[in-house]
Amino acid sequence: MISLAGRDILHGWGKFVLTGVGLGLLIGVTLSMAGVYRGMVDDAQALLDNSGADLWVVQKDTLGPYAEPSSLNEDTERPIRAMAGVDRAAGVTYLTMQIAHEGSDVRVMVVGAEVALPGEPGQPPHLLAGRRIVHGHYEAVADVKTGFAIGDRVKVRRNTYRIVGLTSRMVSSGGDPMLFLSLKDAQDAQFDKDSDAIVRQRARTASSPVLNPPGYPAVAEAVNAAQATSNNVNAVLVTVKRGADADQVAAAIRRWQRVTVYTRADMESILIDKMIANSARQIGMFLVILAIVSAAIVAFIIYTMTIGKIREIAVLKLIGTRNRTIAGMILQQALGLGLIGFAVGKIAASFWAPFFPKYVLLLPADSLRGFFVVMGICTLASLLAIHAAIKVDPAEAIGG
Amino acid sequence: MAEGIRIENLVKTYGSGDTAVHALRGVNMAVAKGEVVGLIGPSGSGKSTLLKCLGAVIEPSSGRMIIGDNVIYDGGWKVRDLRALRRDLIGFIFQAPYLIPFLDVTDNVALLPMLAGKPNTVARKEARDLLDALDVGHRAAAMPSQLSGGEQQRVSIARALVNRPPVILADEPTAPLDSVRALAVVDLLNSMARQFDTAIIVVTHDEKIIPTFRRLYNIREGITVEEQNST
Repeated sequence: MISLAGRDILHGWGKFVLTGVGLGLLIGVTLSMAGVYRGMVDDAQALLDNSGADLWVVQKDTLGPYAEPSSLNEDTERPIRAMAGVDRAAGVTYLTMQIAHEGSDVRVMVVGAEVALPGEPGQPPHLLAGRRIVHGHYEAVADVKTGFAIGDRVKVRRNTYRIVGLTSRMVSSGGDPMLFLSLKDAQDAQFDKDSDAIVRQRARTASSPVLNPPGYPAVAEAVNAAQATSNNVNAVLVTVKRGADADQVAAAIRRWQRVTVYTRADMESILIDKMIANSARQIGMFLVILAIVSAAIVAFIIYTMTIGKIREIAVLKLIGTRNRTIAGMILQQALGLGLIGFAVGKIAASFWAPFFPKYVLLLPADSLRGFFVVMGICTLASLLAIHAAIKVDPAEAIGG
Repeated sequence: MAEGIRIENLVKTYGSGDTAVHALRGVNMAVAKGEVVGLIGPSGSGKSTLLKCLGAVIEPSSGRMIIGDNVIYDGGWKVRDLRALRRDLIGFIFQAPYLIPFLDVTDNVALLPMLAGKPNTVARKEARDLLDALDVGHRAAAMPSQLSGGEQQRVSIARALVNRPPVILADEPTAPLDSVRALAVVDLLNSMARQFDTAIIVVTHDEKIIPTFRRLYNIREGITVEEQNST
């Protein structure tokens, strides 16, 4: 038996392919939306992976450092380093800001990491070019997505930093590329007061007999110095020794320090279940709407195509074609449309994904799922046309 | 000659009670294989209802229908699969050719044997042989839209003949044609009826071709009257 659907498609292939392309672009948007969500999850996981930490020690009762502000004294890391099971501990700061570069603004997450030793938690784990930060001040390592090049000079708050190294896939949970500074520089950038505030604070100190006792000028100088500098970090990143249990180490830190400690699983839950949850629901709504729109389009197209063949269907039924053969023809056309649409959508999504400002991750498993969903939608969408075709009376082929 | 179709006292009533419409009131017909008869009658006389009953598209209310050696209706359908019945025992020729626009000429004709389960190659060979017999073999690979009206009508006749049915029902096959072409179609039907040993019933009100039938059934108010054509 010949394929009636195939012959019909070949007969009007131009119209069919154009319709498939139109549907494909819609499917491409749907796949991209799924890719945007996957990209957000992957960004969050990359943030955790690249921090190099097993535990995140943050200000007590906060969800810091990524989901909520958190401030700890940098000295918090010292007793932690001495605890059983702890391999390394290092303070880090995170600050998202706009940086002017070559006439435009680049949104970055400025990360302050301890740079005295290579491999400290918080440092970029790999470099694409250049070297790591070796001087205590005015050097920076940037993610390639910032668009910075080695040797570029970028201004962060009051100071200018030279890019000495480039890294990749170092992004915040929001997808902003990272700019690494030494911890001290980053603390200055994050916690330094502006000049007016410093002048007013010094005047207040000078007018206070307690902070500026007569005959003891060194006291006021010491107070001013303490007020102008910051020793705070947003979190202490901890790695545990090989064989040590991260949960047990976390429990020990919680017991002896007045801090909150998150394990990798806790942090994943904060980033994915709490921070991305709303975005995921938003994208989910879009996916549902796009699926409904796709189904409506396929149903309309297949129904219109079927109604345009009512006389031929009546003749086919009159000469002995079974309903299931006609239903099969309509179903195959709907699936063919879905197949073309999916292929076009997959190609389109793969083509335009790199042009999105944020990371779009197209997973093969999502594509496979998408394929079956498209086929399911096409099957459902063909039911209306099949119903119309089955209702056609073969007597319509006979006049009178 | 063996009979292609016989109808005895066929009745078709639409509705019931006071609103009942008696479309057929006891039709009797018999057409031999190889014979072409005309079925004529004014509008509303029951021609279309009779054609639909003969085509197993609507069920008669009572009576008896025999196609070839098969009793297909005797107070009720005697065959379970009416589609297979239409496919195997009845050929249809319509006022317009109604060819399937997305199948080429060969497959338009071969579709019926394919539906009957014949392999594609066998069905296509049968179709090509028939198209040759009807002088349209040279258009076997063309699409219906590429054919002239006369060629389309020949292809539709080939489609009606391909499963060698005992009876062919032709519904106004010459309506859109001029006199010359209409008479040529009737000649062709006569020739095919003899060649393929099939009974052909031509429903028509085309004055040009009515005199060409040796036998006519004139249907009036649901009853047929057999007439011998003297011209």
